[in-house]
Amino acid sequence: MAQKRKRPKSLYRRMQENAKVQAAATIILPVLLGIIILVLWQTQVLHHWFKTDTFTLPLLGRIKTIFMENIGKIWENVVATMIVALVGLAIGSLLGYGVAILAALFPRAGRGGLSVIGAFASIPVVALAPVMNNWTKDVSNDASTRSMVAKILVVMLIAAANMSLNAYRGLTELKPYAKDLMATYAAKKRTTLLKLQLPNSVPYIFVALKVSVPASIMTAIVSEYFAEYIIGVGRQIRENIVLAQYPTAWAYIATACLLGIVSYVVLMIVQSILLRRYH
Amino acid sequence: MKKRTLKLMSMSLAAVMTFAMMAGCGSSSGEAKSDTPAGTQSAADTSAVMSNEEIIKKAAGEGKVSNWGIGNEYEILALLAKYGLPTEYLSEDFTMDAFDDDSSTLASAMTYNELGLVKNDYDGGYGYGDTVGYIDMNDEGVAMLEDNIFCKKSFAAENPETVKAFLYASLKGWEYAVANPEEAAQIVYEAGSSVSQDHQSYMASEVAKLVSTDMNGNTVTEVGKIDDEAMQQTLDIAKQYVTLDDSAAQDAFSKLTLDDIRDTSFYEAAAGSSDGKFNVEKSEVSIQLKWLPQAQFMGYYVADAKGYYDEVGLKVNIVSGGGDISETTAVNNGTVDFGVTWPTNMAVADAGGMDLVEVAQIYQRSGMTLVYKYDNFKAE
Repeated sequence: MAQKRKRPKSLYRRMQENAKVQAAATIILPVLLGIIILVLWQTQVLHHWFKTDTFTLPLLGRIKTIFMENIGKIWENVVATMIVALVGLAIGSLLGYGVAILAALFPRAGRGGLSVIGAFASIPVVALAPVMNNWTKDVSNDASTRSMVAKILVVMLIAAANMSLNAYRGLTELKPYAKDLMATYAAKKRTTLLKLQLPNSVPYIFVALKVSVPASIMTAIVSEYFAEYIIGVGRQIRENIVLAQYPTAWAYIATACLLGIVSYVVLMIVQSILLRRYH
Repeated sequence: MKKRTLKLMSMSLAAVMTFAMMAGCGSSSGEAKSDTPAGTQSAADTSAVMSNEEIIKKAAGEGKVSNWGIGNEYEILALLAKYGLPTEYLSEDFTMDAFDDDSSTLASAMTYNELGLVKNDYDGGYGYGDTVGYIDMNDEGVAMLEDNIFCKKSFAAENPETVKAFLYASLKGWEYAVANPEEAAQIVYEAGSSVSQDHQSYMASEVAKLVSTDMNGNTVTEVGKIDDEAMQQTLDIAKQYVTLDDSAAQDAFSKLTLDDIRDTSFYEAAAGSSDGKFNVEKSEVSIQLKWLPQAQFMGYYVADAKGYYDEVGLKVNIVSGGGDISETTAVNNGTVDFGVTWPTNMAVADAGGMDLVEVAQIYQRSGMTLVYKYDNFKAE
């Protein structure tokens, strides 16, 4: 009887089945792609593809030099942008969550209210920012303060809309029979909310934040374009591009990218710690 | 019973929310309207107004001097520095609403545009009439040159006859426009104006003054000539107040001389041509404006409408700008052949690595002013 010999698995198969390799690959592959893009950039292949020159798309070394030379000034602008983004995100998310709870408690009115909020979220930042500037004229005599309030309001609206829509799903899309079970316990509405609905919404909060965190930074950057007081990463990008200072503008663009990436990584770490018991 | 109360409550909540939102919208627009005095103020007695220096110091002390920034701010910085004040200003948007509601009490205004909107009461105007005064940069000695004609150095080297022909026809258009501002305004209005006809004719008459008067108030007869003295003053002020984060560009900027940024030979050839005959190398060219179509650029529209461009064998495409358009970039990357910008912006772009050169200077004096309400600066 010919015994069927087990063929040794190919290296590829073994790598596919190895969890550690898989985990490493999810990091290595994107990083590799990033490195390839940077290499194409530095060797000017990108310039050739996109038919541009090293003036409009400066080489990496030049951007790095300007970045290092102006690190102090860049930091000032980063702080201004991040205060707007984070404060707006925090207040907006809390508000949004509050609205979601109200909507979950009063589903009839709630669903309608949420559609209105969804509509709010689709107003472009370029339209919101000037309106907010006008609204906050009387907030303070200090231009930097009222500018900051105006920018925070824009970020807040975007973050609130995002959070309320997601949190509402978390509060209402419960496991089958979970609500029925609570009903058989004759649980009060408040108990159901505290013991079932709120815990169920936690992962959805992070779904919302995954979108809101980068979106708040983007919103802060765009609303700086229209602000009365001149500060922020976005404002610097605009001023330098209009003045044809592309290497400097790129240093700020790189800064904006870093802000987005770093805050996303921080969010991921927080999530992995807080959501451990959900896995 | 309980269910019904809940339902009622939720409905009333929704109603309150909608109402609050609508009320919010309404009140905001109401406020904006009630802020507009629309010429209700009585004409102030100008003798009871502070001196320019006092006005600038008071406004700067309150942090209420404003300008658009993005390369338009250097004259204001120079003025503030002249009186020993910190060189800070508020960002002005493209309306005069901030001036209207006093969040800016000393606001930048071009003589031919914003100043007219503030004073006049035609459509889009604020109707302040003679209750406002203004500080003129030419009088304060911090004037910088504005609208010019520029192109890429390599373009000028490869198409010298085209540049001369374009200048010849454009300057002819400008001369006609300066002599007949009313007609020029009409031509611009018909070519696709961004503002009302009334404002267009106001603008045409003011622009004509800038083209035909120099910084010292003397009459200029040679339209488009590059006045080296004014150009040097512009460059000197720019070197003092332009700060670039890119140290290499800043270094290059501080070393710029007039010869790096202007070439008078094309103007001289165009002005010296008796018959306007040129062997153009490129018969279709384009010019990028610094802003929306308006009488600020009437010379080009007139040259086009009157057929001056056809006469020299050119077909010219006038490309309007607006907002954040970077006219220097558009010319440098070859999207357009010519551009209108301020010499300072062009010099800054050159310092950053662009290859641009001014071939004619249309505005001979600065159109920049700081406008203020007499009521805000009454003498003690």
